[in-house]
Amino acid sequence: MRKRGEIFLFLFIGAFIGSDLRYLESLIFKTSNGFPLGTLIANLSGALVLPFLIHYLQDRYNLSPRVVLTLSTGVLGSYTTFSTFTADTYHLYASGHWWLLFIYLTVTLVGGFALAILGNYWAAGQAFNDYAKRKRGHNND
Amino acid sequence: MTNFLLVGFGATVGAFLRNELTLQQSKIKIDFPIVTLLINILGALLLGIFTAQIHNGAILLLLGTGFCGGFTTYGTFNMELSQLWFQHRVWRCFWYFILTYVFGILGFVVGIHI
Repeated sequence: MRKRGEIFLFLFIGAFIGSDLRYLESLIFKTSNGFPLGTLIANLSGALVLPFLIHYLQDRYNLSPRVVLTLSTGVLGSYTTFSTFTADTYHLYASGHWWLLFIYLTVTLVGGFALAILGNYWAAGQAFNDYAKRKRGHNND
Repeated sequence: MTNFLLVGFGATVGAFLRNELTLQQSKIKIDFPIVTLLINILGALLLGIFTAQIHNGAILLLLGTGFCGGFTTYGTFNMELSQLWFQHRVWRCFWYFILTYVFGILGFVVGIHI
């Protein structure tokens, strides 16, 4: 994975998928009052899945470094976004949607952190289940 | 269809740049996710500038939704927050949280007004 060209190719595939998935969600979840539901859904789901990928799926399926790079830095890194969040916040503020601004900020700030914590526990829980299953399997031998 | 290509190509360049910068984190002797912090603030500032200066919808999709969206990341930021939390570095976690949100939003506001 030393070659920059190779890294660019894998990130190309990953970032293309991730960013367009986010764009698609912003089109699907378009709201009449301007609430950025699409960005919120993309960001929260990405925050939950990333720790699960790094702390569980990577080991469970023996994913190679290039697959992990593609999925984490590429897909999930581009699927979630911070810049659009700041733009959404500004627009809600500028248009005077105080309640929507309050809800958006609270869910983004608290929800992202809570879901990342949850993603770590989810990974640990799955790893423990696998371990318990293997142990039961050995006892039956 | 063209819109999806614009977003995808912009995000690819953004993600590649983010990856190049993140690789520098291990070379910096600061025990703090400073690279992601700077990436997110810079990306928000750029998006503010683009939003104010670019009036062509297609170019804004390429540079805004695409490039800035792919360059900045919310997933990695929260993952790093959770890591600091689990390592019991609560103050570092707290400051990372505050600095990212305060200077990120401020970055966009500055960008849109210059």
